[in-house]
Amino acid sequence: MSKRPVTVVTGFLGSGKTTLLGKVLSGPSMSNTAVLVNEFGKVGLDHHLLRRTDERTVLLENGCVCCTTRDDLVGALLELLDLDEKGEIPRLDRVVIETTGLADPAPILFTVFTDPVLQHHFTVDLVVTTVDAVNGKLHLDDNPESVRQVAAADRVFLTKTDIADPETVRALASRLGSLNPSARVSQVAPGELDAAELFGPGTGETPRCIPESGAAGHEVRDTSSTSLTFDGPVDWAAFGVWLSMLLHARGEDVLRVKGLLDVGEDGPVVLNGVQHILHPPDHLDEWPDGDHRSRIIFITRRVPAEEILLSLRAFRDLLGASPRQLEVESPPVTRSGSSR
Amino acid sequence: MCVLCGEFVAQAHWTDRHIEDRARSSETEIGDYHRDRRRDRILRASLANRVLAHYGLRLDDWSGSRYVLRDRKGGSELVQDLGSLWPVAGRMAGRTPDPLDPALMEAMSAAERPHQR
Repeated sequence: MSKRPVTVVTGFLGSGKTTLLGKVLSGPSMSNTAVLVNEFGKVGLDHHLLRRTDERTVLLENGCVCCTTRDDLVGALLELLDLDEKGEIPRLDRVVIETTGLADPAPILFTVFTDPVLQHHFTVDLVVTTVDAVNGKLHLDDNPESVRQVAAADRVFLTKTDIADPETVRALASRLGSLNPSARVSQVAPGELDAAELFGPGTGETPRCIPESGAAGHEVRDTSSTSLTFDGPVDWAAFGVWLSMLLHARGEDVLRVKGLLDVGEDGPVVLNGVQHILHPPDHLDEWPDGDHRSRIIFITRRVPAEEILLSLRAFRDLLGASPRQLEVESPPVTRSGSSR
Repeated sequence: MCVLCGEFVAQAHWTDRHIEDRARSSETEIGDYHRDRRRDRILRASLANRVLAHYGLRLDDWSGSRYVLRDRKGGSELVQDLGSLWPVAGRMAGRTPDPLDPALMEAMSAAERPHQR
């Protein structure tokens, strides 16, 4: 049986996570979605906003979902699994976990991927991060949590764009694009949001290239990213040696690894890692598009991203191919919601 | 579960996933699986050794179930996979193997073989 997808919704305090979920979960296609939220701040209110899924909402008891209450998360997911298998709830299609505003999403991925039972029944398919268009710049400047959340994201939703001035929104979107070039950045307009926009498979999931120096002014102080490719197929076993060593030595500073790696087979290997935690790499049967080059993005903190490139270059004989930086291409920002 | 030592292995490390996943798909013959797996382990150990040599360590496949990591003073430890290799290697070598370490990068560049694989 296929694993049930888990979507992690994260974002800084007051950045509109619950509002975003509220918009999406009211749709009929989401009736088989369970939502896990936590008791932190005004969650009582948040919980009522998610009333459509009320009976499936398991309130986690101990505040932060991540670190302190991983067992609760395990318990909550096991309980849902139990109910589903007993047939006491209609088919469970998806679980949404809303984190606290200060949460680091990595421990959630860790929990789902490593728990002896959960790993066979659930998989994390998306990390969605909301960023407040009005206060986002402030959050990114002052809070490493906010930077980690953006780095971990597969999709970034800019909220409150209707009350922010367009120039601020544009600057923030560009900064988010350079901070995490692998994420799709969308603006959420007031009004309804299609569930497919949030959960559905979309375009732009594979990494794009970023301007190397043009966006430097937008970089968060000690966080940088680099996109690279290889001049040929990479030996997967050798890459595994290199990457597992890197994640062991520098895991906390490697905020994100994402991309497609050409290993000389019919399709690429999908890489997706957040800090120490790597999604089980998928070996695809074919390439998703016509571009058959490796495309990998590294987002690092405290480690200049160029050092990654230098290290891969030093390991070129082991890897069987030489890395090089990808050329410039600006990340598109899509609009969602009422513009559709 | 490891039949030799009874240790419960809860999860395949991500570097082992390729082979393990292929084993679960019905197209693979069990004989092919064992051959692929064995070959993969020997190859991986030889690749890791090119890094570990810099730290005075050596890794060998140990009857297809574990790897044994040895130093030059006769010390040895068993490791399960690449995930548990690096912490043990760090302990035995007295420093954490780091691909961003300039000395290791230099050694890897210098040790290039004349012929590409």
